[in-house]
Amino acid sequence: MKTGEFIIAFEEGLHARPAAELVRVCNNVKSDIIMAKDGMTIDPKSILGIMALGAAKGDKVSVEVSGEDEDEVFSKISSFFSESQG
Amino acid sequence: MIIEETLIDLETDGTTKEEVIRHLAELAQSQGRIQDIEDYIKAVLHRETEYSTAMGFGIAIPHGKTAAVTEPFLCFAKVRSIDWKALDGGLVDLVFMIGVPENAGNEHLKILASISRKLMKEEFRSGLREAGSSSELMQFLLNSDLGIG
Repeated sequence: MKTGEFIIAFEEGLHARPAAELVRVCNNVKSDIIMAKDGMTIDPKSILGIMALGAAKGDKVSVEVSGEDEDEVFSKISSFFSESQG
Repeated sequence: MIIEETLIDLETDGTTKEEVIRHLAELAQSQGRIQDIEDYIKAVLHRETEYSTAMGFGIAIPHGKTAAVTEPFLCFAKVRSIDWKALDGGLVDLVFMIGVPENAGNEHLKILASISRKLMKEEFRSGLREAGSSSELMQFLLNSDLGIG
């Protein structure tokens, strides 16, 4: 299992285009992914789940990836968030 | 309240995304929530061109944050199945539309999050589909405790 915490740097928060992009990153993978913020956990493979998280700029989210391709998936998710740091 | 009975239409005629957005914007304008309807529609459609606001389960949540909005609002419509260019390829039959003023900070994110949390539950989605009138739907939303004022 791989876990990490990320700060949202997207100006508009984790919605709109970044949310759609994250869904794309998280789909078609073998691992299970859990994202959490303030005690709420969601499945980032669903756009509705990401919206439900309501993560604004500056918020911290945690990510947990478990499965046979967890290293690759976690690395992709890390890149997704680090690119948003500009 | 950001939503009220007059911002709900269960018998929308629109057959395209554009028609439904315009119709709901007109409802918001008639309630004094929007000053410049064309500017608001432009903002919402611009967002739609960047990515579809279809969320799966037959639901779309178009939204616009612009100075054209004078007071935050939430509209709701039941529509005939519309191709909303959803990521999952599915058609949309329920539409929530959000409008917030330019200076509203993260208000639209909060509204989106609140609705999305409810929409993740099957019983909430079927409750929306089963409501027979605007007043029934309004009552259902009030009973559901959306968590937004």
